[in-house]
Amino acid sequence: MILIQNLRYRTLAIGHLSIGPGMTTIIGPNGSGKTSLLRLLAGIAVPESGSVLIDGIPPRDTEIGWVNEFPDRNMLFGRVYDEITSPLRFRHMPDGQITERTESVMDALGIRSLRNRLVEELSGGEKVLVALAAALVVRPLILIIDEYDSHLDGNRTEEIGQLIRQNPIPSVIHCTQDMEAAARSDQVIFLQDGGVGHAGDPVQVFSSLKDTAFFPLSWRGKP
Amino acid sequence: MEGETVNIRICDVRAVRREWSLAAQGIFYEGVHLVTGDVGSGKSTLALVLAGLFSPACGTVERHGIASQMMMFQSPEYHITGSTLDGECRSWGADTAGVLASAGLAGRNDEDPLRISRGELKRFILACVLSRPYDLLILDEPFSSLDCREKERLCRTLSSRPAGITILFTHEQAFFPRVDRIWEISSGKLWDRGRMPEALARWEHAPRMVKKLVEKGTIPANISHADLREAVCRM
Repeated sequence: MILIQNLRYRTLAIGHLSIGPGMTTIIGPNGSGKTSLLRLLAGIAVPESGSVLIDGIPPRDTEIGWVNEFPDRNMLFGRVYDEITSPLRFRHMPDGQITERTESVMDALGIRSLRNRLVEELSGGEKVLVALAAALVVRPLILIIDEYDSHLDGNRTEEIGQLIRQNPIPSVIHCTQDMEAAARSDQVIFLQDGGVGHAGDPVQVFSSLKDTAFFPLSWRGKP
Repeated sequence: MEGETVNIRICDVRAVRREWSLAAQGIFYEGVHLVTGDVGSGKSTLALVLAGLFSPACGTVERHGIASQMMMFQSPEYHITGSTLDGECRSWGADTAGVLASAGLAGRNDEDPLRISRGELKRFILACVLSRPYDLLILDEPFSSLDCREKERLCRTLSSRPAGITILFTHEQAFFPRVDRIWEISSGKLWDRGRMPEALARWEHAPRMVKKLVEKGTIPANISHADLREAVCRM
């Protein structure tokens, strides 16, 4: 369980928010604080005041996987295999374990064929998969993904979404402007003006957004 | 509007990038054109060819009756030349107050365009682009980084452009303006799917909801959010 209390960071102010396990989607207008919240949950940023705790532990002391909206901005190495192994090498893990984990995560994501490719030559979708592999190789408790689907086509987004859902990570938190994807989550958080507008299961949250552009098109016409 | 003199004509064009190529042929008349295709299919390359910014290996692009044109790149950063929002507006010859108000950035004249959020920057550059009329307006992925509300607002603006050719290259799945014609890039070729609403049945990479509507025989009049909403409620 993630617990946020009396949080203040830049324009973000959240009195109390709890996030359970499963797939959580953060939605909201541009500038509402979605990326800031993800960065706080990932431990990339720390609150100016208040707290973010994951099972009672600060994010920086927890294993977290992070995928940036522009994945190549976070990549350090030129070759795909080196990029995916890097989080384990930085932890000085034995070579045998590094190989085993890396091969396993590449198989799970179906990207074994990319191992010797140069990152700069990959397509947008392939870059997301490599970034996901580098995030998953550390076997995180929480996977945090910042709007990876904004630059992908519908087919690719769906394929990658399925791979994420198949992975046995206890919590996945992502933000998106795809309301159909948000409607399939376990939990939705709607941010507005730097605070939590609505939070709960998709039915609860979207019933409050019926007259807005955020309401999923496929839910129109439902009783 | 077909048959009028304002058009852009692609004649047997082949655009080549390394080992990949795109073949294109067709005429874009006045109105709103939607060009769809998967990421990496060649949408941006074709946009550059139409804008005259990329030379095809063979074939020609003829412009008829086009005195002014604008291409908006997918990355709004590519457009920035000013160090403040005010300076950037002036570089476009646009009214700063009007552009900032339209982008929801009123009063932020002195801020650095490269230090505002990406969604804000996209809104800002779109407001600069749309502050002037163009005979040919090419928009490459204008919806990326925008929230649903802004996507809907942009669609309304594009639907109401009074004249000229608007060509929209996008992989967006939920928000579209009212369009006159749908084009699709697949298997290295540009396909003309035809005028609306007949194009919907031929649109291979149509969004899931559009496909579902067509399968059920509930054909929307067009693909704007309002048209799709109306059709979904009818289904």
